[in-house]
Amino acid sequence: MTSLTTLTEEALTGASNAADEPTWLRDRRLAAYKRTLDLAWPDSRADEFWRSTPFAQRLDVEREIVVGGGSVSPASFTADLDVEVAMARIVDGALVEVTVPAAMVAQGVLVTDLSTAAAEHVELVEPALGALTSSNTEGTGSGADRTITVNDAAWTAGVFIHVPAEVELDTPIVIQVHAETGGAHLPRVLALLGHHARASVYLEHTSGADTDALVDEVVEVIAHDAAQLDVVSFQQWGSHVDHLALQKVQAHRDSRIRHLSVTVGGRTVRFLPETDLVGPGAETRPLGVYFADEGQWFDLQPYVRHLAPHATSDVLFKGALQGNSRTVFRGNIFVDKDAVGTDTDENNKSLILTEGARADATPFLEIECSDIVAGHGSATGQIDALQLYYLTSRGIPREEALRLIVTGFFREVFGDVDLPGVEDAALTEIDERIAAADLSRFQVNDASLKDHHDE
Amino acid sequence: MADLEIRGLKVEADNTEILRGVDLDLNQGQTIALMGPNGSGKSTLAYAIAGPPAYEVTGGTMTWKGTELNELTPDERARLGVFLAMQYPVEVPGVSLTNFLRTAVNAVREEDVPVREFMQTLRAEMAELDVDGSFLQRSVNEGFSGGEKKRFEILQAALLKPQLAVLDETDSGLDVDALKTVAEGVNRLSGPDLGVLIITHYTRILRYITPDEVHVMFEGRIVASGGPELADELETGGYEGIRAAHAAGV
Ligand SMILES: Nc1ncnc2c1ncn2[C@@H]1O[C@H](COP(=O)(O)OP(=O)(O)OP(=O)(O)O)[C@@H](O)[C@H]1O
Ligand SMILES: [Mg+2]
Repeated sequence: MTSLTTLTEEALTGASNAADEPTWLRDRRLAAYKRTLDLAWPDSRADEFWRSTPFAQRLDVEREIVVGGGSVSPASFTADLDVEVAMARIVDGALVEVTVPAAMVAQGVLVTDLSTAAAEHVELVEPALGALTSSNTEGTGSGADRTITVNDAAWTAGVFIHVPAEVELDTPIVIQVHAETGGAHLPRVLALLGHHARASVYLEHTSGADTDALVDEVVEVIAHDAAQLDVVSFQQWGSHVDHLALQKVQAHRDSRIRHLSVTVGGRTVRFLPETDLVGPGAETRPLGVYFADEGQWFDLQPYVRHLAPHATSDVLFKGALQGNSRTVFRGNIFVDKDAVGTDTDENNKSLILTEGARADATPFLEIECSDIVAGHGSATGQIDALQLYYLTSRGIPREEALRLIVTGFFREVFGDVDLPGVEDAALTEIDERIAAADLSRFQVNDASLKDHHDE
Repeated sequence: MADLEIRGLKVEADNTEILRGVDLDLNQGQTIALMGPNGSGKSTLAYAIAGPPAYEVTGGTMTWKGTELNELTPDERARLGVFLAMQYPVEVPGVSLTNFLRTAVNAVREEDVPVREFMQTLRAEMAELDVDGSFLQRSVNEGFSGGEKKRFEILQAALLKPQLAVLDETDSGLDVDALKTVAEGVNRLSGPDLGVLIITHYTRILRYITPDEVHVMFEGRIVASGGPELADELETGGYEGIRAAHAAGV
């Protein structure tokens, strides 16, 4: 069987043929494969992007690629919503189920197997697939990262989404990615929104409790003029899953993107939510909430490139940490020399709940244009003693007050995010973790008490 | 024995003694005003009653209906009926007013009040206190004006129905209309079951809420006590008399 390092042209050709993929796709896989041969796996010593993570040590590229498919049906939080969603289910390296509501089908919406779409909708898929992973030469989503290029070559389970121009969807398209069998998983998603289309795509990542897996995922989304897109990615893995995710959006003129990630599960998660603002007036809001617990390491790297004038980006990531967990926030905003009128803001806030956890933040700006408005900041703090006092002085027991404060900390991120079920599902995940925590170990910062007195 | 009985209470903050032996009695059904110059220790006493966050009680006793308060956490005191309307109410981002109030009411009543019933009561009390319905979804005190914060403190008292309410400068920052609304709110709560300790610098709130007794705090002790007329004397004459008497060692 094959692992990420023992891939061969023969194996890739055989798999591509078995999936009835068209020649162009097979050739593209082989070309990507050739590029991987010149690339090294990321190395924590040499590679800036891996510098402060234990990923390179944990990155076991020798694990076998899982292709079989499985019969597990993981639960989706959208099952409780009284809306009819489109659902694509990837289990153990294969797309095992797709359901699309009749109303969406009638509007020409496609949610289908990517290999099949490559043959049947070649005019849509061929120009788009890999356009965001291999075309640009700057940034993390470039051909320079072997973990991404290897997905270009060897992805096993792909979903293709097409929302035609002017079609506005009120219900989400849900993609479940589930790892039950240990090994390497290579899911792939390509989503295209026509001009003035509106859609939300939810990705739910789950695994068996003991599944030991590496999930190397690439999601590409192209939002054409004035499209409105929400991408929501839940990382709910068990504690033996390492997740590398590139979720990259290309935003054309006046399109509006919100990209929310909820990271609570997994052992190591390197999450790259990226947006290329290629059209004037485009807007992106990369948002993140995360709760890191004992043994977890999250590396969050929102990256926005302002490549056109008058575009807006607003990055906000908030996380809580406990145990010996670590989080790294490395936001980066690039503003091209022609991107006049750029408006950008980037913020990261961390709440250290117990001693021993560590949060690092380097919000970064790379600006080649002077006519812009830019802000960035980061803050790391603890639970505020005065807030805790105020709540408890109203009769609320300490534990409940702590839960209110921590949940409240996250709410800012959801602001006007009115997507069905999302805020509830995210806060429920977080609340479950607080409920399981030893609240007596929570650290409280009493500096505010002294400040308060001086008011 | 008084319902609230404070004897020889000493409190320190940052290793500095702030209260130097306070004696005070307050019964349910009674209203007492506490006045005194800036920094004399009034808020410190208020905190000490409600559960001090950064204050250390170093001496004395403080009982509420026979129970020693010093040994209880702030939430335990609240569940016994103690309520402090803070001089500077605290902002709690992301916690909605509705969620906060409901959690507090359930905790104090030690039962799960049905949502509908709770919302009805809440809306009625908000109307009485002139608090707009749009506040329900806002975060606790976040972005509230000074007056809005004070009104919200009284709204909390109205819902939690305390037996002992300490109002720390609830009147400051209120314009005349708001002052009336707030004072009426307090008077609605009043009755044979409620003891009120009202801390203020001015008599204007005392025109609406008549105290049974007025006490004056100076440098961490109660140095003068009297009826409502004492408040008027202080407002016209200031604390100079008290200061002078103190300096003279009277
Ligand atoms: N946490 C604290 N740390 C250090 N000193 C404190 C603290 N709290 C109060 N003090 C000091 O104790 C004294 C009394 O303060 P307190 O706030 O109780 O006065 P107050 O009578 O309420 O004044 P005001 O009328 O201005 O509200 C002041 O000198 C103050 O500086
Ligand atoms: Mg005071």
